[in-house]
Amino acid sequence: MGPPSRFSPAVMSPAAAVVALESVSKRYGTKTIIQDLSFTVGKGEIVGFLGPNGAGKTTTMRMIAGFTTATSGRVTVAGYDMSTQNAEAARRIGYLPERPPLYDTLDVSAYLRFVARAKGVPRLAIPAELERVTAACRLEAVYRHEIYKLSKGYRQRVGLAQALLGTPEVLLLDEPTIGLDPGQIQESREVIRSFGEAHAVLLSTHILPEVTMICRRVAIINHGRLLAIDSPSGLQRAVEQTNRVTLQATAPAQPLREELMAVDGVRALDIHAAADDDRVLSVECHVDAREGVEAAIARAVASRWALHRLERHQPTLENIFLHYVGEAPAARGAA
Amino acid sequence: MSGMLAVCQKELSTYFRSPIAYFVVAVFMVGTGYFFSYNTFLTGNATMAETFQNMGILLLLVIPAVSMRLFSGEYGAGTMELLQTLPLEPWQVVLGKYLGAVAILLLMTAATLIDLVPLYLFGNPETTTILSGYIGFVLLGMACLAVGQFCSALTQNQIVAALLTVSVLLGFWFVHDLQSFQTSYALRGLVRHLSFSLHFGAFIQGLVRSEAVIYYLVVCAIALTLNASYLEWRR
Repeated sequence: MGPPSRFSPAVMSPAAAVVALESVSKRYGTKTIIQDLSFTVGKGEIVGFLGPNGAGKTTTMRMIAGFTTATSGRVTVAGYDMSTQNAEAARRIGYLPERPPLYDTLDVSAYLRFVARAKGVPRLAIPAELERVTAACRLEAVYRHEIYKLSKGYRQRVGLAQALLGTPEVLLLDEPTIGLDPGQIQESREVIRSFGEAHAVLLSTHILPEVTMICRRVAIINHGRLLAIDSPSGLQRAVEQTNRVTLQATAPAQPLREELMAVDGVRALDIHAAADDDRVLSVECHVDAREGVEAAIARAVASRWALHRLERHQPTLENIFLHYVGEAPAARGAA
Repeated sequence: MSGMLAVCQKELSTYFRSPIAYFVVAVFMVGTGYFFSYNTFLTGNATMAETFQNMGILLLLVIPAVSMRLFSGEYGAGTMELLQTLPLEPWQVVLGKYLGAVAILLLMTAATLIDLVPLYLFGNPETTTILSGYIGFVLLGMACLAVGQFCSALTQNQIVAALLTVSVLLGFWFVHDLQSFQTSYALRGLVRHLSFSLHFGAFIQGLVRSEAVIYYLVVCAIALTLNASYLEWRR
């Protein structure tokens, strides 16, 4: 598949693209839900999909899954165009929608058997396939239970099991860990992570640490536009030109200020007495985002006074997320 | 083909794991039994003609209960998102569901055969007439189901789907009454040909006319095609 050359390297995935969106837009009447969205997901890669509610995550997932079609632009999965070769592409997709699509009156085994048959899993291979996903999603205990009797966590995992059936090349997961308890979240992440080693996974989520933990790249969208796509660490570098360094020291305020301002890389200071001890000063420095600044600060302070604590604050994914979605969408093009 | 059969089997499991199938068959048996005993034992005629007529009207009310959930239920449960993203063509989904519903119709029909036992025990009915009545009944039911399934695809609400189906079916049942208002010969012919009940009436009298058979099958084909196109269009 030959993606257009105007794709920036960050938008392109390093591995061969299994999912590719090229200038995709979706409009309902006059309302634009998705606007000029381009990105790819490669084989062996888990891409996190972040955005506030109503940003267009679910619509994008639905377009890739073939539930809705793009108004303009092209969505390809494993080289098949979703608008013309839907059925061929559908064989290669496992999809867990935001709300797990379950038939309440069926029991788990009947439900999974139906999905396996509809996915075209050969009849003789179905029992082994059911056993595989049941074990992966820990469904043994409820295998014969009717679905309406299941807890939210189990429902979510039956939905995940359904998506894994037939070992699809692409896994689309719309908030797969919602409603799970911490232990189940851990297990589901492990399933997704191991699946992502050999397949392409696009994972939309609200849980930011999850993204840092299992995703190689993160795409942030808001108001239907791609704001940024990069590795979590790449995003951190891109977002903050200044870092924050906080320290506590026993020192007179004015000389400390002068000493700190003389350090190369320190831009601004905020000094106040520590809450518990008024001989100790708390200092918050805004410094250039480069290595070594905090070491220079530590040397400057410790050479004259007692330095109790020094900490450099890296931007968290939360800050990055807020940085991007807090901005007016028109002010920033695709990364 | 296997995708369609998977959908069909799923529909049948859903019918039998919920009270619908049992309820519908039971109601239909009781209703038919009532009409049969009224028509046959009171008049003393060993014929199914009156009973078939009543069964037809009963069918208009029972079919929506079978068909209303076919698509409305999927929309409501969010499972349409699964059906439309599985490697299934719209026609496979539509036909699979339809076959599942037709199986319920056949079960309903088979359940009424019990009424024939006293008929043959105590009377000497015309077997060919009864046979043609049953053929007409199944064809009528198939046409009603196809219409009901299409109505169900149009709305998320099962009650709305059922009411819509009853309205359309009653329209088809009574449409021939409009012929008294038509002055043009062509229009009179048209409303007569569109009537579910006139075609069914011929079957009850023992006439299996190709015209009537083709009419019911064409209604099925049109409704199911519209159904599949509508699903495709919805994307």
